[in-house]
Amino acid sequence: MKLKSSYIAVALAAVVVLAFPAFLGAYYLNVARSVMTYMALAISWDMLLRSGQISFGIAGLFGLGSYASALAVLRGGMDPFASIIFAAVFAGLMAFALGFVILRLRSMYFSITTLALMEIFRIVMHNLHDFSGGPEGVVLPVVIFNGDAPALYWLCLAGLIITIGVSWYFEKSKMHLALTAIRNDETSARSNGVDIFKYLLIAFVVTSTLQGMMGAIQVQSYGFTAPETAFDANFTLLPLAMALLGGIHSTIGPMAGAILLGIASEWLKLQIPYGHLIVYGVIIILVILFMPQGLLGMARKMIRAGRKAGATHE
Amino acid sequence: MSKLTTTDLTKRFSGLVAVNDVTFNMEEGEILGIIGPNGAGKTTFIHLVSGILMPSSGTITFKGKDITYAPAHVRSRMGIARTYQLIHPLENLKVIENVMVGAVFSKDKSLKEARKSAEAICAELELGRLERDTAQLSILEIKKMEIARALANEPEVLFLDEVMAGLNSDETKQIIATVQRIAKERKMAVGVVEHVMGVIRELTHRVIVLEAGELIAEGTYETVSKNPRVVEAYLGGAA
Amino acid sequence: MANKRNAAILVALITVAVAAILVWRPTVIIYGLQSAGLYASIAIPMGLILGIVHIVNLAHGEFMMVAAYATYMLCSATGMDPFLAMVPAALVTAAFGFVIYKLTIKQALKAPELNQLILTFGIGISMTQIANLFFTSQTRKLSFDYVSASVDIGDLSFGIYKFVFVGIALLMIVGLRLFLTKTTTGKAALAVGQNPKGAAIVGIDVDKTYGFVFALASALVGMMGAVFITSSSIFPAVGSPFTMKSFCLIAMAGVGNIPGILSASILLGVSENFLKAFRGTRGWADIVFFVLIITVILGRSIKGKKG
Repeated sequence: MKLKSSYIAVALAAVVVLAFPAFLGAYYLNVARSVMTYMALAISWDMLLRSGQISFGIAGLFGLGSYASALAVLRGGMDPFASIIFAAVFAGLMAFALGFVILRLRSMYFSITTLALMEIFRIVMHNLHDFSGGPEGVVLPVVIFNGDAPALYWLCLAGLIITIGVSWYFEKSKMHLALTAIRNDETSARSNGVDIFKYLLIAFVVTSTLQGMMGAIQVQSYGFTAPETAFDANFTLLPLAMALLGGIHSTIGPMAGAILLGIASEWLKLQIPYGHLIVYGVIIILVILFMPQGLLGMARKMIRAGRKAGATHE
Repeated sequence: MSKLTTTDLTKRFSGLVAVNDVTFNMEEGEILGIIGPNGAGKTTFIHLVSGILMPSSGTITFKGKDITYAPAHVRSRMGIARTYQLIHPLENLKVIENVMVGAVFSKDKSLKEARKSAEAICAELELGRLERDTAQLSILEIKKMEIARALANEPEVLFLDEVMAGLNSDETKQIIATVQRIAKERKMAVGVVEHVMGVIRELTHRVIVLEAGELIAEGTYETVSKNPRVVEAYLGGAA
Repeated sequence: MANKRNAAILVALITVAVAAILVWRPTVIIYGLQSAGLYASIAIPMGLILGIVHIVNLAHGEFMMVAAYATYMLCSATGMDPFLAMVPAALVTAAFGFVIYKLTIKQALKAPELNQLILTFGIGISMTQIANLFFTSQTRKLSFDYVSASVDIGDLSFGIYKFVFVGIALLMIVGLRLFLTKTTTGKAALAVGQNPKGAAIVGIDVDKTYGFVFALASALVGMMGAVFITSSSIFPAVGSPFTMKSFCLIAMAGVGNIPGILSASILLGVSENFLKAFRGTRGWADIVFFVLIITVILGRSIKGKKG
């Protein structure tokens, strides 16, 4: 019985979300797209985090996807929709090559190298003038779907649904056992047949593919990109804050965090034009120090306490 | 039939020789005791045969195949399993999931099959309420879970590293009976590292003694416990 | 072990230097050394924290940035020379670092290593954004005559002011070596770095030591912030490349190998300047550190496999 009611709730929410374009104007659809993009990035960041590896390279892979898609259309004459798939695969391949090298060493080496990715890709795009448009970036001849707001919204939603689906799969399949075992105790994972390198590589490639896909959707929806916009540090900062606030090591946590912070972000931008991003930095600090399991973790604790209290009442 | 053999196995840690030219073998169906004073290199030796550490020199052979530099997870898949002295349960997985890991990754079982195998193993070890968090287990249950985790790999060779530590005499008796039973039923070769000589005497068919990384004696418990060099190594003799 | 590493760096260095000479751009080596001095001076304090407190401070570059802005304000307001401002800058940054340690890092030390990475990342971002809030992203600069001091040797003319960085780096290396081996606090710090539990058992106050080391490293990087503003323009994000390059240098030298950081810096500095010397490759100079760190990671993982 319990299972059914939560499924019904999810189905209802899905229908409402799908129907947004029916009753929301272009501005709100824009905000929704922004929230969904960050949500997908937050979820994909969390997927790798479940293995214990922290990536600071979301902006790098996201921007790489943007450029791959834009340049596939501009230099390769690819169809915009196909370019999104191309960009996702490209980001995945790049992650494979990179991960092959850097996943052999863990924790700080991996994390700091991913932090550098954003800078490195930005410099590469900046320097390859003829190919990538240099510092001015590139403009696409046409925005995908001719800029039709509902279509852009559903495109972004599709990307988000794919991401949620993959994350959910990670939670239900043996990836969950592998990544959790690696995170909790690598040595004993090895003694139980887990090929750590293989599973980390899979997680890194899959999450990078998703991040590249969102970057491609972004560039196709806006019609232009440049080194500073594609590799904007916000694409790392906000998803991290969202996943941490909502509750890491889950799909729902980052989703909740994204909704909360995504909406708050729109409001904040108007209040504090310069440096509103400090809120996200502070949230990260506060969550790590006082609430490492996020809101979801706190909710779980309260439910457990409630259950115990209920039990002792008998 | 010899299952596991090491020849002149050595491990150096920049200057310190932890395991020194150890040559030994384990036969199918035997329970081998591995004893020696603290710091003798027993756990390092198990790390070497299970693949957690790579040797500095020497060879390791398993069922005729050279596995000297095979990674740990490959050795699990081949049939070598072990428990850890300092048990670290996977705290974000339930008890049953802890046990399932070996079945899924060493035996390539589906989640459903792995769950069935894991449940069977836990039933055999009398470990119940498998949906619990590992934080709620008693010491005896943690030990049982640790053994269950190793058994889920369906090993042919199993190493138990001080699995009796911290148990009272009743619990120890339980585990001894369990080890004897699983070794016999599964026809495994079992290596048991222990400090309590009573356990070694009751459980093992044969004993090897390590001191400062070297193999100094080999034989039945009776033979070995009378060996003067062994007695000296323990400074006061065995129980 | 450190000697093998230093030898490898030296060999790579000589190769690059020879290449520089072959294309007759000796300024590459000169400017490379100067850059090296700057990089080393910033990396060494980070290495100190990593070696003793065992955390990677991803906000390291931002500490320098804050000190630079503080010096900017002090010097524009009072006309003081930044070299004089070094002392107050160091003290202010030390206090700042100590407070950050007490309020945040100390709690995170008990938590898994990865929480510390996210924490210092968050601190760094917050500091950058605060700077953005107060100063906007517009760059600031101070001008001083002595910065343009130069020397002519034959056809060659080059600036010599930036050798001051090399001087500072050398002073840091010698100073820290003396501190760590000759003073009680320093020896305690070394002990804590090698074995915190053992140090606690013999009665060393580990928490106090960590706080002190953090303050000391902050003082050094604060000092560098003051010197930095003499010759460079500053903006809120100016610190982050230095954090990454510092980590690269520490990884190359090996944690705990402070003199090695200077050799690694020379390699980085000379390589970067080599690329900067030619129009075609100028934009690629900032990729060098990434190539170096990938090389280090590859080298280390190959070594690891051999056991």
